[in-house]
Amino acid sequence: MRLSFERQKKIGGFLFTLPFVIGFFLFFLYPLIQAVIFSFNELVLTSTTFELQPRGWENYRYALQVHPEFTRTFVEVMVQLLTRLPLIIAFSFFAATLLNQEFRGRALVRALFFLPVIMSAGIVMRLETSDYSVIMLEASRAGAIFGGNALRSLLGDSGYMPTWLLDYVVQAAESLPVVIRSSGVQILIFLAGLQSIPREIYEAVSVEGATPWERFWLITFPMLSPLILTNVIYTIVDSLTAMNNQLVVLIRDTMLRGAGYGASMAMAMIYFVAIAIILLIVYRLISRRIFYYV
Amino acid sequence: MTGKGFSAMSILRAHKVKLYRSTTGDIVIFSILAVIAAFMAMPMVYTIGNAFKPLSEIFIFPPQFLPRHPTMDNFYDLFVLMGQSWVPISRYLFNSLLIVALGTAGNVIFGSLCAYALAKHNFPGKRAINQAILLSLMFAGAVLLIPHYLIMSYLGWINTYWAIIVPAWGATLGVFLMRNFIEHMVHDTLLEAARMDGASEWQCYWHVVMPIVKPAWLTLIILSFQQLWADQGALFLYAEELKPLPYALSQIIGGGVGRAGVAAAVTVLLMAVPITVFVINQSQIVETMGTSGITGE
Repeated sequence: MRLSFERQKKIGGFLFTLPFVIGFFLFFLYPLIQAVIFSFNELVLTSTTFELQPRGWENYRYALQVHPEFTRTFVEVMVQLLTRLPLIIAFSFFAATLLNQEFRGRALVRALFFLPVIMSAGIVMRLETSDYSVIMLEASRAGAIFGGNALRSLLGDSGYMPTWLLDYVVQAAESLPVVIRSSGVQILIFLAGLQSIPREIYEAVSVEGATPWERFWLITFPMLSPLILTNVIYTIVDSLTAMNNQLVVLIRDTMLRGAGYGASMAMAMIYFVAIAIILLIVYRLISRRIFYYV
Repeated sequence: MTGKGFSAMSILRAHKVKLYRSTTGDIVIFSILAVIAAFMAMPMVYTIGNAFKPLSEIFIFPPQFLPRHPTMDNFYDLFVLMGQSWVPISRYLFNSLLIVALGTAGNVIFGSLCAYALAKHNFPGKRAINQAILLSLMFAGAVLLIPHYLIMSYLGWINTYWAIIVPAWGATLGVFLMRNFIEHMVHDTLLEAARMDGASEWQCYWHVVMPIVKPAWLTLIILSFQQLWADQGALFLYAEELKPLPYALSQIIGGGVGRAGVAAAVTVLLMAVPITVFVINQSQIVETMGTSGITGE
């Protein structure tokens, strides 16, 4: 009896995942395998189809040693991510708790916070590039850099701060406009999480006399901690694979009008492995500290 | 004893009112929100302003937020230009709606089905699928364009809606999100109780899991919607009568500087849709079962 129930559950599990698994094999795994094969070849177009000319590790050597910008851009992109990641997570957490309060026009204000995501999609973004909002963004960035410099002279003169920390603080201040703009989805994820916390728990601790401060650190924070991991992963993935990420742009340029498809796939593979390693480290670090409610 | 219980109740009641309310807190929260929201809203206010400016005002420097002589000309021009298009504009709209509706529905349903199984079931291969999901998230879509095209071509789906819709069904972000929510927000005891009462797996999924994670799939709807809405189908759709609305509108505004006002009108129209969806969607979240169903053990 019990066995058949377990069996039933297993079959159910299979069936439920099946549509996704098929899609995954077809639209991800197969293209990925092809991309790996391409990275060891050179793609030559013929009149009707294409041919592969094997090149061994040549494409990889090209990416790492010959291409003038690949390694430099690679390092830049990674440093940028490390600076922004904690800021994005902190800001979206903060914004989500604010937006979860009950006030009039809440949905509208949430929409405003999500606006950058809508505006950065497709046609709207292309229209904007020649537009005032670019000036706006530049202005806010200039302001931030100005503020950053002021901050540097203020904090630097006092001499209390080690240089690396000072550098970080200044950089953080400078990237604030970008951080706010790239937190849209993360805010939504945290919001959905906040709305899923049973209200009874808050009522129970309020009866016990917990202050709002305690409520936040004893209930909200631990209950949302699994979603911090979710959001960290999302942020890493989103910023490293975005269409306008410098390295993705570089890879695409190489593909379309640079050293060719094979070389660009080699770059993509190196990048891919790097992202995988970063995610693995982050996952290991954070998943131990998560509070499990269930 | 009863006295104690009574006072606990009254504290509870007092706190229920106060739980999310305190005047100073509200003021602080509102001012912080207002500053950030203003920062966020600026580009949109400017674009909307542009849509109502006559052409002569659009290029004034320094740029003006609000039109001095508001006009509807840009929208009239846009509708005239739409009327002149070779394929009726309603056809483009139909294409967009079809792609967005089918793509989003499939993404949410297949994604959450898979996520439920991954979060709450044990079966061989589960770990592998979980890792595969993370793996596929890591890869920039742009990089896989050519293999992607080859597959669509093998399947004979080039120049069909399926080339856009079906990949959206397999989009891994949905599974990833839903799995994390279901795993952490749905109590195992609740599922056991439902199964005790004879609920089938499908009923567990539809009547227990989905209501609890409603905030999560509402979020997923927004993400999926706005991504598909922006899709111009440039790579896979060649027939003019299959192309989505953003494509048609981007053609209309491709007419150079003279169309700058029309371009602003197009931007406003294209943005209005996802924003409306977002606002309706977010006001759907009232109180889910997760916040009202179970009390602690």
